[in-house]
Amino acid sequence: MRKMRKGITALVLVVVMGISMLAGCGSNEEDNTGSTEISNDQTPNQETQSGDTAEEQVTLNFMGWGNDSEVATFQAMIDAYEEKYPNVSVEYTVVPDGDFDTKMQNMIAAGEQPDAFYCGIDNVMKYAATGNLYDLSSYVENNDLFDVDNVWENAINIYRYNGSSLGDGPLYALPKDVSAFSVVYNKDLFDAAGITPPTEENPWDWNDYLEAAQKLTDGDVYGTAMYSMESAVWSNGANWLDDSLANVAFTDPKFVEAFQFVADLRCKYHVAPSSSEETSLSSYDRFMQGKLGMMGVGSWAQADLWNNCDFEWDLMDWPVSPGTGEKAVWFGSAGLAVSPESEHLQEACDLIAFLAFNEEAQRTSYTTGMSVPTLKDMAYGEYTEMDKAPANKKAFLNVLEDYGRLATQSRTFNQEWWSEFNSGVEAVYNGEMTAQEYCDSMVESVQALLNKSVEQQEALK
Amino acid sequence: MPAMVQFVCFFLLPLCLCIFASMTDWNVLVKNKNFIGLGNFVELFGDSKFWIAARNTIYMLLPIPFYMVFGLLFALACHKEIKGNKVFRILYYLPYVSSIVALVLLWKWLFNSEFGLVNQALGLLGIEGPNWLGDPVWTKRMIVIMIAWKMIGITSIYFLAALKNVPSTYYEAATIDGAGAFMRFFKITMPMITPITFYLFCINIIGSLQTFIEVDLFTTDGGRNYGVATVIYYIWQKAFNYSQMGYACAAAVVFGLMILLVTLLQFKLSNKWVYEGD
Repeated sequence: MRKMRKGITALVLVVVMGISMLAGCGSNEEDNTGSTEISNDQTPNQETQSGDTAEEQVTLNFMGWGNDSEVATFQAMIDAYEEKYPNVSVEYTVVPDGDFDTKMQNMIAAGEQPDAFYCGIDNVMKYAATGNLYDLSSYVENNDLFDVDNVWENAINIYRYNGSSLGDGPLYALPKDVSAFSVVYNKDLFDAAGITPPTEENPWDWNDYLEAAQKLTDGDVYGTAMYSMESAVWSNGANWLDDSLANVAFTDPKFVEAFQFVADLRCKYHVAPSSSEETSLSSYDRFMQGKLGMMGVGSWAQADLWNNCDFEWDLMDWPVSPGTGEKAVWFGSAGLAVSPESEHLQEACDLIAFLAFNEEAQRTSYTTGMSVPTLKDMAYGEYTEMDKAPANKKAFLNVLEDYGRLATQSRTFNQEWWSEFNSGVEAVYNGEMTAQEYCDSMVESVQALLNKSVEQQEALK
Repeated sequence: MPAMVQFVCFFLLPLCLCIFASMTDWNVLVKNKNFIGLGNFVELFGDSKFWIAARNTIYMLLPIPFYMVFGLLFALACHKEIKGNKVFRILYYLPYVSSIVALVLLWKWLFNSEFGLVNQALGLLGIEGPNWLGDPVWTKRMIVIMIAWKMIGITSIYFLAALKNVPSTYYEAATIDGAGAFMRFFKITMPMITPITFYLFCINIIGSLQTFIEVDLFTTDGGRNYGVATVIYYIWQKAFNYSQMGYACAAAVVFGLMILLVTLLQFKLSNKWVYEGD
């Protein structure tokens, strides 16, 4: 008897533990009932206050991610916003960026999304297509907080979605920031090797870049980090997907050629650190230690470069493909969006516009080296004139104004095909396979996942 | 009564929801879900990534015998009244209660292929250390070593508790009958601690099958060629990165059933070796 009872207890225990991860799927809803109660408490509160004052007292929930300095900047901006609009108070929640999307999805499933929130560019299509982003088009036309023509057109347009693709149509988010990706080089190493950096009008092509990298590579100093695949592929007139974004296109000889160029930097010419060297000390850290000549760098890294480099550095535009002479690279951004379920749409829109384009905050952001301004007049004016490296700040601005593009994987409903394509690229970088062999081997599996993404998107129409 | 509420809210209800969702194309972001029957299951069984993940998950079972044996040895060492063994007990327990994020950071340093202590030590022995963090085969091995290291302490605490519960009269009687230390260990200690051993096997197998966080922290996208991803990692990616909650639920149901099967099998076998008292 005792034996049996023990057995049953143990069995129940084990089953509960075993399926506790199933519970994970559903228990989010339990989690969120907690927050439902909280916000239900607030609603009657707001109503009683709105009853007896002319100006309605409003509470907005705002959710974001960010490191300490970003949170501090945002808290300061929110304080300024509350001062400007005394009837609005903002509840600011910070969630670690790795958990943000999971949390957001749970909140949406529970009908408890915040009024305003960050929205990473990869997720814009997903959230817009499922009706979880408020259409800001008419607000942007008729607002008195900013002039949309003074914002990088590229950065605005990536948040437009017309129901099938990004780039045009109604506007669903405002750029919280823009990040340009350019090439940084170690001036001291360039001088020592007798290399003259290229100019904007006369950019290097891949051969010039390779030649420079070969001159720079010496002992434990490498010429270059792994080259941006986007830059190489696009510059060569190819892409991962065709224009419809429904078919893979990476077996195109132009794609393969660009891919092989990138891989050869490591596996043929040995001017970039090997894969195991890269995992033990990233190219970025190598560069910071003065052991690497050139690498792609984002505008967010300026602060680090200012504070931690004991050598001179500057930027150059991305080299061009010898075939086309076209410059290309991606640029990034994170957006601020409003939930269509918000009961205070006007206030929420004002909040995100204020946060996105507040001049004081933009100034803080570029003077601390976190990013380049989202406002064009400020970028070309005070930012360009700022007395700090890089001398060639225009290299960042060229990306935003001119040749930067939205990454291909951000333009599809989900990014699983992209992870699949990248899951084995190391084999090519290490010279175990040629780019041609790799691309041929990946067509089927990547296309299958892309079909899935298209199917998911279609199902929502 | 509260136990019942808890059981329904956190177990029965989510379980039913999950089984229901597994037959829909639910994507979390929209309210309506379409019923698609067993479509998710058919797709799941045809997905090579799921099977890669399943193989990797089974790999995570490897450290269990290792840390069970060492856990027992540590417990035996601690069981003796030696000065300072309380300190050791606390030290054993430390890895288990440390934050996993901190541990992963630490291990990334230890196993750094150029500068890590492990490869430096191997270098002194004339062995060229592998690229632990870059090569999925070695990353998996590293995770297994980490799990073993982390679990030895907690296992030994369980064993120690079991050892303390063996009545000393048994040993005294055996000694009088002339049993030596080995006899005492194999004829008294071992049978007396079989219930806890069984319990540890059950929860450790389930725990190992649920390995997730190490994969998430040591790799991006499950490592090269998905070589480190486990089933739970696969489910999580599908649910939250690729908006296929229905499909993820189907995978969770299949995986839950697999765990249930393994556990039932263990209970069936337990009659043969677990001593349950008179």
